[in-house]
Amino acid sequence: MRVDVRGLSVRYGSVVAVDDMSFSLSGNKIYGLLGRNGSGKTSLMSALAGYRKPLGAVTLDGAPVFENADAMRQVCLVRHTADAADKGDKVSYVLEYGAAWRETWDNSYALSLIDLFRIPLKSKVSALSLGQRSALGVVIGLASRSPLTMLDESHLGMDTPTRYAFYDTLLNDFMAHPRTIIISTHLIEELSSLLEEVVIIDSGRLVLQEEADVLRSRGTEVTGNAGDVDEFTAGLTVLSEKSLGRTKAAMVYGALDDSRLIRARQLGLELGPIALQDLFVHLTEPVGGKL
Amino acid sequence: MKIFRHLTTTLVTYGAIVAACVFLMNLAVAFVISTFAEVSFSGWMLVTVQIARWFVLWVGVYTIHNVLPIAVAHGRTRREFLVAATGFTAVFALAMTLLTWLGFLVEGAVYALMDWKSTPHGSPLAYFLMFLVWCAVGMFVTAAFDRWGYGGVLTLPVGLALVLVPGITMPGTGDMPFVRDLPLALGDGWHVVSVFAWVAAVGVTWAIGRAMPVRAKAV
Repeated sequence: MRVDVRGLSVRYGSVVAVDDMSFSLSGNKIYGLLGRNGSGKTSLMSALAGYRKPLGAVTLDGAPVFENADAMRQVCLVRHTADAADKGDKVSYVLEYGAAWRETWDNSYALSLIDLFRIPLKSKVSALSLGQRSALGVVIGLASRSPLTMLDESHLGMDTPTRYAFYDTLLNDFMAHPRTIIISTHLIEELSSLLEEVVIIDSGRLVLQEEADVLRSRGTEVTGNAGDVDEFTAGLTVLSEKSLGRTKAAMVYGALDDSRLIRARQLGLELGPIALQDLFVHLTEPVGGKL
Repeated sequence: MKIFRHLTTTLVTYGAIVAACVFLMNLAVAFVISTFAEVSFSGWMLVTVQIARWFVLWVGVYTIHNVLPIAVAHGRTRREFLVAATGFTAVFALAMTLLTWLGFLVEGAVYALMDWKSTPHGSPLAYFLMFLVWCAVGMFVTAAFDRWGYGGVLTLPVGLALVLVPGITMPGTGDMPFVRDLPLALGDGWHVVSVFAWVAAVGVTWAIGRAMPVRAKAV
């Protein structure tokens, strides 16, 4: 499912959560939506899901989503607050809502996920632990089998083994049922191997949209003698520097051409990749990052 | 249709269970009173005009505040939901009226058996309209609060005015201030005013609810 956002703004009174944002997602990939707290991720996803009326245009396969029954049927957004479940309802009842109201709902898959995440079917949602509530949100999102499935930090409450089970499940389900999946997370490194494309936003604005592999290749850690590192990085975009005695490590952003690579070898510098999480941190540093 | 069916089956069933429990409690209270005093009024009449309408109002609140966001989260539009919810108000009011009437029949039989005195109560039509308007007003005020936050308080006077309408000629609800004779002068024509109150409540709910955001709940 293709997603197009044009001039989207979301405001809460005088607070601008999303500020004139435009981008397109070609679809059928796992997208990572990355941003710091308060960067506008939830507001953006809420507008994509028709949870709120957009100022600007949000279209799915060319059709506006807000109050459009055909488009809304194709979308499922699970926020960490479990909108598709009422706290007073039993888990089994929450699944009944999905089965009753969503044509694409796969109830047998939902039940298998409930079993995998060890969520008690007869418990009320309010009685579940934070991790179980997170898992229930993931169940709702994946079992919806929606062409556009969005998970907004919905797995953050899970413990580590459960998160790993979630990552495996997500990948297997995506392979079996390819669709457009958007995940926002702060656990970037854990999830980075699943992400095909990354959208980074900050202060309600788009910072960059890039294939994950391309983005990784744009960052390089340069380590060596402090003087040599300084000489090598002159004129490059340096994201951060660390020194220990006479050794220095610098993170640089941008592709290195052949002459640079030759020079690094001549200087005896070590060149290594940068973790996606580190790139994210530096790209979203206060005052819009270092780019 | 799925939303309408869901609302109707779950909330009418819930309403019937609550009504049955309250009815039994009401009879129990009457028996307790009869041990030390004469029973001279219908407890069920008081329950149905004083407590039941607040329960029906709460059902309207629940419908918009709790169920509408779930419907949107499952890919349904507000339009679909509000159409279903409008039909639901009528079915729910009818169901509550039937339960009310059933209660009066059973209570009447018990009172006759025990030789207790009862008090007059409203007609089925009056009950139906009262429940209809209170449910719709619950939806309307909730839609306003959910859309505008504390700004929704501005709709309370309107909601209050609307819920007063169907109760004016209903025994046990109190009289209209200042213009006490107007409802009597209108007679059964007053019911038409109640229908307009319902149409108004549903209309403004529709207008407000169509652009209502689904806000994140507290975890």
